[in-house]
Amino acid sequence: MKNSYIILLLLLSSIVHAQDENIKFKFSGFADTYHAVRSQSPNDFMSSRSRLRTEFEASKGKSYMFASLNSTYNSIVEDATKIELREAFFQYTNNNWDFKIGKQIVIWGVADGMRITDIVSPMDYSEFLARDYDDIRIPVNAFRLKYIKPSYNIELFFIPVSEFFVLPVDEKNPWSITNSIEMPYTTDMDNTPDKTLKNSEFGARFSFYLSGIDFSISALHTWNKMPVFKYGYSQTMDTLQLHANYERMEMLGIDFSKPVGKFVVRGEFAGYFDELLEFSNNETITKNTLNFLLGIDWYAGNDWTVMAQYYHKMITDYDAALASDKNSTYATLSISKKILRSTLNLGAYSYVDLFNEASFTRFSADFSMTDQIHLMAGYDWFLGDKGMFGMYKDNSEYWVKTKFSF
Amino acid sequence: MKIIKIQLLTVVILFTTLNISAQIFTGRDIMQNVKDRPDGYSRSSEMTMQLINKRGSVRERKVISYSIDVGENKKDRKTLMFFQYPGDVKGTGFLTWDYDEIGKDDDKWLYLPAMKKTRRISGSSAKKDYFMGTDFTYDDMGSRNVDEDNHKLLRQETVDGHKCWVVESSSKDSRDIYSKKISWIRQDCLIALKVEYYDKLSKLHRELKLSDITQVDGIWIAKRMDMTNVQTNHKTIILIENPKYNIDIDENSFTVAKLEKGNL
Repeated sequence: MKNSYIILLLLLSSIVHAQDENIKFKFSGFADTYHAVRSQSPNDFMSSRSRLRTEFEASKGKSYMFASLNSTYNSIVEDATKIELREAFFQYTNNNWDFKIGKQIVIWGVADGMRITDIVSPMDYSEFLARDYDDIRIPVNAFRLKYIKPSYNIELFFIPVSEFFVLPVDEKNPWSITNSIEMPYTTDMDNTPDKTLKNSEFGARFSFYLSGIDFSISALHTWNKMPVFKYGYSQTMDTLQLHANYERMEMLGIDFSKPVGKFVVRGEFAGYFDELLEFSNNETITKNTLNFLLGIDWYAGNDWTVMAQYYHKMITDYDAALASDKNSTYATLSISKKILRSTLNLGAYSYVDLFNEASFTRFSADFSMTDQIHLMAGYDWFLGDKGMFGMYKDNSEYWVKTKFSF
Repeated sequence: MKIIKIQLLTVVILFTTLNISAQIFTGRDIMQNVKDRPDGYSRSSEMTMQLINKRGSVRERKVISYSIDVGENKKDRKTLMFFQYPGDVKGTGFLTWDYDEIGKDDDKWLYLPAMKKTRRISGSSAKKDYFMGTDFTYDDMGSRNVDEDNHKLLRQETVDGHKCWVVESSSKDSRDIYSKKISWIRQDCLIALKVEYYDKLSKLHRELKLSDITQVDGIWIAKRMDMTNVQTNHKTIILIENPKYNIDIDENSFTVAKLEKGNL
């Protein structure tokens, strides 16, 4: 059954091409292999996976179709060895209208690596942030309609069945969020909302692209897609039971991006209304939260790029019994430089949890050996004991990756 | 009587020609005429860029480009570029709103398919950087206001049988990577046959040669451009294929939505 996807894609190209000369086809993709080893004892492999990504495009006139397929073999996490349809959508565009239906990744906002208004496509944290950002985002089945004018567009969309965060709970996965639990445990991650019309998601985004500034206003009727856990014990009290919880919430946000000389200043602000939070006594509660990000990009010339962001989250009507602090602050810093005629790209991307004094930095070198082959290597460095990054304090790793594009 | 008429006509033609020559005989006027050379109100082409290092190793970039003239005097330009090859940059797109007004930064957006995201980028700094590892800067690829340089007509020369004006253009902006450039402009079609770029120490830095100069839909075009960095011996050849002019597109096509779609 799984192999039939590939055969279907290959055959479809030749069959339809034979039927209609006006249809244009493209078949492309890449194969990559990624391996990471813990930099401290026991120097075990944190990841070892290979993948074939196939992408198929067909277009005729104003119609366009895209499908991509991941065929992955994972030596560390057996469940991750699979063939999956990544994206598959149909798009129709004329001068003023753009209609896109199907499985697609939706990216909003101007933040880089942080999510403020960009909460439509959830995240797959199977390997935390140690994967390409494209692989971390989860596609959603959506209807999207855009009205396009030269200086603005209006986007409406509807998601019949929501997608939620993927969190690793397999004890064999070094990135499992349950690795700190020392007793036997079970997890119930399937407690997602019923697949009914009432539970659908919908939203709108109004974007302006003007000379000297971009800005957008967005609104979303959604869910807290990152689960909030409640804990319980088995009848024999020897097994911890974790139950994922999800609740409705609304988001109203704005973002902007403004070039100033060699700099681009970016900002996002979003109010989350009724965001689900963890409360004391193993309860949950909904609160309104304010989320704010300010970033600056410096295009320094000579292929140097420096990007910095500051993110602040504040819980309004704060209650001391909440598990989270009233304020949480993060920062990111990215530095990249291209050398050797843009064939070698050196970079460092750092997330810093300012409150917990912990960080995660990915150092990378990406060498384009030929037009098709990239060799990459790097180091993922976790620092600090507390918070989200502290949880992975023993997960610093060396990694290598090779990618062949066709 | 007939002879007198012919002589009179000859004098009138000669006077008119000299008058035109007098009008365009400054370096600035020549460069303005080069910039204003008819190239339609909209255009598209496919570009193959061959990057050749000093060992002769070749890498390729393929780009489809669309542009349209906009604004009150049609002096501003909107351009969309989509990368087709190699695979790792396929789908990457640039949208540029290029303003003729001196001091007004261009508006630029970059679409990164791996991130599925459009990023607003600086309109001023990238101009001095090399375009995707080629020997052409972003500034070379875009259009430049004539008054961003001081122009001086040096002489007239015949190159490969074509009468040329030789014009020296000195940059007014100290941040430019060249101190001056010397252009050999063909007088019959207002296309440069050769341009020499000099660095800040006035040493020859890059040399551009244009060839395969022909007319498409009545519009002159150089279909091949060879840019050589004489200091590093790195070379970039741009081959323009399938050029089209006055194509049926409107300003609505030059939007972020189209940039993200990856084609028009």
